[in-house]
Amino acid sequence: MRHFLLGRLALLVPTLAGVLAVTFLLLYVAPGDPVQAMVGERADSSTIARLRAELHLDDPLPLQFVRYVGGVVRGDLGTSYITRRPILDDLLERFPATLELAGAAMLFAAVTGISLGIYSAWRPGGLADRLGAVAAYLAVSFPVYWVGLLLILLFAVTLRWLPPSGARGPRYLILPALTLGMRSVAVVSRMTRAAMREMLGADFVRTARAKGLGEVRVVLRHAFRNALLPVLTVLGLDFGSYLTGSILTETIFSWPGVGRYVLTAIEKRDLPAIQGSILFLSVVFVLVNLLTDVLYAKVDPRVEY
Amino acid sequence: MGGEPPVGAGLAYYLSADPASLDPALSSDVQSGEMIALLFDNLVQFDTEGRLVPGLATRWESDRTGTAYTFHLRAGVRFHDGRPLDARAVRASILRALAPGSRAARQWPLLPIAGAREYAAGTARTVSGMAVPDDSTIRFTLTGPLNIFPTLLAMPVAAVVPDSTAPSFGQAPVGSGPWRFVSWRHDDALVFARNRRYWGGPPRADTLTVRIIPEAVTQAAEYETGNLSVVEIPFGETRRWELAHPDELQQRPAIRDLYIAMNTTRGPLRDLRVRRALNLAIDVETILRTQMAGRGVRAAGAIPPGIMGYDSTRAPYPWDTAAARRLLAEAGYPDGFRLQLWRNQRTELVRIAQAVQQDLARIGVSVEIVERDAPSVRAAVRNGRADLYLGDWYADYPDPENFSYPLFHSSNAGPGGNYAFLRDSTLDAMIIRVRSTPDTAEKARLAREIDGRVFGLAPWIFLWFPVDEWAMQPDVKGWRIPAVFTGQRWTQADRVR
Repeated sequence: MRHFLLGRLALLVPTLAGVLAVTFLLLYVAPGDPVQAMVGERADSSTIARLRAELHLDDPLPLQFVRYVGGVVRGDLGTSYITRRPILDDLLERFPATLELAGAAMLFAAVTGISLGIYSAWRPGGLADRLGAVAAYLAVSFPVYWVGLLLILLFAVTLRWLPPSGARGPRYLILPALTLGMRSVAVVSRMTRAAMREMLGADFVRTARAKGLGEVRVVLRHAFRNALLPVLTVLGLDFGSYLTGSILTETIFSWPGVGRYVLTAIEKRDLPAIQGSILFLSVVFVLVNLLTDVLYAKVDPRVEY
Repeated sequence: MGGEPPVGAGLAYYLSADPASLDPALSSDVQSGEMIALLFDNLVQFDTEGRLVPGLATRWESDRTGTAYTFHLRAGVRFHDGRPLDARAVRASILRALAPGSRAARQWPLLPIAGAREYAAGTARTVSGMAVPDDSTIRFTLTGPLNIFPTLLAMPVAAVVPDSTAPSFGQAPVGSGPWRFVSWRHDDALVFARNRRYWGGPPRADTLTVRIIPEAVTQAAEYETGNLSVVEIPFGETRRWELAHPDELQQRPAIRDLYIAMNTTRGPLRDLRVRRALNLAIDVETILRTQMAGRGVRAAGAIPPGIMGYDSTRAPYPWDTAAARRLLAEAGYPDGFRLQLWRNQRTELVRIAQAVQQDLARIGVSVEIVERDAPSVRAAVRNGRADLYLGDWYADYPDPENFSYPLFHSSNAGPGGNYAFLRDSTLDAMIIRVRSTPDTAEKARLAREIDGRVFGLAPWIFLWFPVDEWAMQPDVKGWRIPAVFTGQRWTQADRVR
C-alpha cells in the first residue's frame, strides 16, 4: 500500500506538468485578450501597451511559460489580472464552500442512490423498482440548470420553505445539494441495482441463506459489500467532478465556490487565474481518485496494492 | 473576509458579479465603481438624476480657456478611521491611481491632467499639472481645454483614499463616503454600515448588504421572497412583472445606446448608401415592441433623450425596404451581399440579432450571426474583423462628449470605442470643439450638429435607447433608479417598519 501511494503521488508530477503545458498553450492560442477585458469599453492604445508590458504579455511565449512554471514550483500560482489577489488565496477562500456543497451532494447521492438500488435489486420488477427506473432516466436527462430553477421556484418562491440562494447555513445547502446530487442518485441507484442483482444471484449468497442467516444480514453484509466496488467508482468520479466542476449549480444558487471563480476567470480572460484554477483542481481530482483507490482496498480485502 | 452578512436587517442590494477590487485606483468594472461610490468621496459626484453636484469640493472654477481648474475643499471631512481628508490626500490619491506599475486599467479620466501620461509611463517623477497651494485647495492644469474635466473627476478612479494604504486596501478599504466597510465574502456578499459622521448627513438605514447573485431568475426569486430591497426587471420578464407587481415598479430612460456598428472600412459598408440602406431595411419599431416589451425610445442619432444635444425633432430612419433595395442597387449591389454580425450571448441580443437577420434577408443581405463570449467579440470588433457588431454603450457620465468622442472620433477607432472605424475630419473637428468650448450654449448647438452629422453618416444601424425598469419592495422608501451607475449612494433609502 505504501509503495502504491508513493507511486501514485510521484505520478502527480508528470500529470501536473502535462496539465500545465497544455493549459498554458491552449489559453494563449484561444481568442480574446486579457488586456482588452481589463480596460473595458473605453481605452487608449497607450494604456493597452502599458498594461501588456506590466503583465509581461509581450514577452516571448517560452519565457512566459518558464516564468510561470518557476512560480508554480515555488508554490506561487500567480496573481489575478483582474482582482490583483494571489490566486491561491482566492482558491483557498472558495474551496471550503465547494467542498461543503460537493460533500452534501455526495451524501445525498450515496444514501438515496444506494438505498434505492438495494431495494430495487431485492424486489426487482416491483413498483419501487419501476418507479426508480423512470426517475433515474428523468434525473439523468433533465439539465441541472432547469432543475435548479424549478427547485427555487417551488421550494423558495411558492412554498417559502427554503431560501432561494446564498451560503449562510445548512438550510441554504439543501437545494443546491439536491440539484447537484440528482444525477448521481440516478447513476448510483442503477449501478447498485445491477451489481446487487448479480450478487444476490451468486452462490455465496445462496449459501448464506442456506445457513439460515437473516435476510437483512445476507443483503447488507454479504451481497452489498461485494457489490460496493463499482458503486464506489461512480461515487469517487462524481465527487471529483463535483469538486472541480459544479459551475452551473454554484451560479444558479449564488454559491461562493471555486466553480464561479473559474467561470469569472474565463469570462474575463484572467489567464493566471484560469491556469491556477485548472492546476489546483487537477490536484484535487487526482487526490480524490487516489482516495477512491485506497477505499477499494479497505472495502474489499481481495484488492491489494 | 469573515463575517456572516445579516439577512433581512437593513437594506439589501445585489450585484451580478463580484467586484474586482474596492480600491479606486484598480477599479475597472461597473460593480467596483458602484461599491466605490458607497465607500468613498470624489471632489464632485453624481446625484441620482445624473447631475454633477459638490462632493469633497464645495465649489470649483475654471479659467477663461477651460484649461485650468481650481477646486475648494469642504472643511472638517475625515476618513472612516479618523484621519483628516485634505487637498494633499486628493493629490496623493491621483498620483497613486496614475502610478507606473500599478496595473490600473482605467486611468483615462485622469490623463488630461498635464504630465499625467508621462508620470504613468514612468518618464516623469510627478504630475506637473497638479498643485496644492493650501490644505483646502487643489489646482489642475490640463494639456488643453476640456469642459468635461470636473465630470471626469466624478469617476471611480478619482475617488479620494488616505495617503497611506495597507496592501490589503482593495479588500478592506477605508474611505470617507456615506458607508463604512464591514466585510466582504467573495462571490457571496459585501456588508456596509452607515457612516454616522458623514458630512452629507448619515444614511437613513443602519446597514446595507450587497449580495452577489449572478443569475437573473435567482435575483428575481430573492426579491420575491423579500430578501432584496430592489431588483432589475429583465426585458423578457417585463409583462409578468407588470401584471404581478404593478405598484412596485419604476422606470427610467437609460443613458445607453443599443446599436449595430457597421465597420465603415470593410467591403460594401464603406459605401454610405449601403449603410443607409441597412438602416432603412430594419423594422426597429416591431423589434422594440416584440423583443423588448416596448422598453425603449427609437434612436435617430447616438445622443439619448435628456442629454444635451438630443434632438427630438429628428425622425429615425423609416422602415422602407423598397428604398433600401434602391439604394443597394445604386451602390452596385442589386443582388445583395454577405455580412457577419458579431454579438455576445446575452439573451436579448440573441433575439434582436435574429430579427435583424430576417429583415436584412428581405433586401438580399445575407447575415451570418457569429456568437462568441464577450471578450472574444470585443477583441474581434476592436481589431476590425467584424462587419457588424450588435452591442450597447453604457455612458459613464451624462454629457454629449460621452456620446461622440469615444464613439466616433477617429482617434478612438477600435479600442477607444469607435467600433464603426468612422473617420470624418469635419466630425473630428466638431467633436474636439464640443469637448473644449467653455461656452455652454455653443456646446449644446455643437452637440446637436454632431449628432445630426453622425445620423447622416450612418456608421451605426440606430436601434433604440433602452428604458430601465426596477421593482422596489413596498416597505422600502427613498430609492430611485440612478441615471449614472455611480449615482445611487443609498443615503436616502430606508425600510419603513
